[in-house]
Amino acid sequence: METTNMIAFVSGGARSGKSARAEALARRWHQARGGERYYLATARPTDGEMVGRIARHREARGPGWTTLEEPVDLVAALDRVAPGSTLLLDCLTLWASQVLYASDLDERQALTMLDTMLSWARARNIALVVVSNDLNEEVPPRDAEVKRYVAFLQRAHRRVVHEAELAIQVVAGLPMYWKGNEWTGKAQ
Amino acid sequence: MQLFIGGAYAGKRTAVRERFDSPFWCSAYDGKGLDEWRSAIGTEHCLVLEGWEEWLKTELASEPDDDRVRERMRGELESIRAQEDVHGLQVVLIMLEMGRGIVPLDVGDRRLRDLAGWLAQDAATHCEHVWYVWNGLARPLV
Repeated sequence: METTNMIAFVSGGARSGKSARAEALARRWHQARGGERYYLATARPTDGEMVGRIARHREARGPGWTTLEEPVDLVAALDRVAPGSTLLLDCLTLWASQVLYASDLDERQALTMLDTMLSWARARNIALVVVSNDLNEEVPPRDAEVKRYVAFLQRAHRRVVHEAELAIQVVAGLPMYWKGNEWTGKAQ
Repeated sequence: MQLFIGGAYAGKRTAVRERFDSPFWCSAYDGKGLDEWRSAIGTEHCLVLEGWEEWLKTELASEPDDDRVRERMRGELESIRAQEDVHGLQVVLIMLEMGRGIVPLDVGDRRLRDLAGWLAQDAATHCEHVWYVWNGLARPLV
């Protein structure tokens, strides 16, 4: 399996099995490549439900992960990852909302940060798996803020997908390959 | 006729631009009515029709019967398809996937969502190629 410097994008609906799919992929890459295995959580434990949700995810992942928590600054988070490692970023959806509603960054700065993270991951031989949600296939929101959020998240998605060798849409726990194939690592 | 369907900001327009050379755009987002596609006949080689949900909203505002709206749009698709053959025009439809969220509370949104789904199905039956666009990528469904 070709695993050098790869970037993967894994997305789908709520409870589609995307996190499990992304974790399995990161585990395989880590096994093949060696180095450390990191989990970058963008979730901020804002309430009791969120704390429980984060704990559930952590338990499901099992041991062997170094957990980083960083709601906004993806580049700072990447700086804490040893070169040659595998990094799972879960998820871009929360990052996008924190960028727009809990940071001083404007959209352009945030997308530049995302680009920087992608290119630094490559430069440092960090295999990166990015998880997100598909939120754009419902009746277009009337609320201008929600519209802005969906548009921003989609811009972020398109950038990651453009860079990625592997793009997977998860439906009912099953992968639909849009780019590449996770078993061979080859671009289609 | 070809159909490009996908969610909001999925990259549908770019996917079309990458595949068709300088087409004539008839867009509801530029305030064009659906019937304005007729102006492209005989003068253009490729016609893109986008903003169907806006044209549906216009129809729904004046017609309370959903079946009639569907029939009217179906008729329009058939006319477009017929003209395509006669004039050697390549027609590209861009439609918004909006059927995957929760059922909207607002009755107008529910009607729009239903009609948009039916319209996409009806359009697909007239198309040689149907593309699903997702995060900047397009894959053929048909």
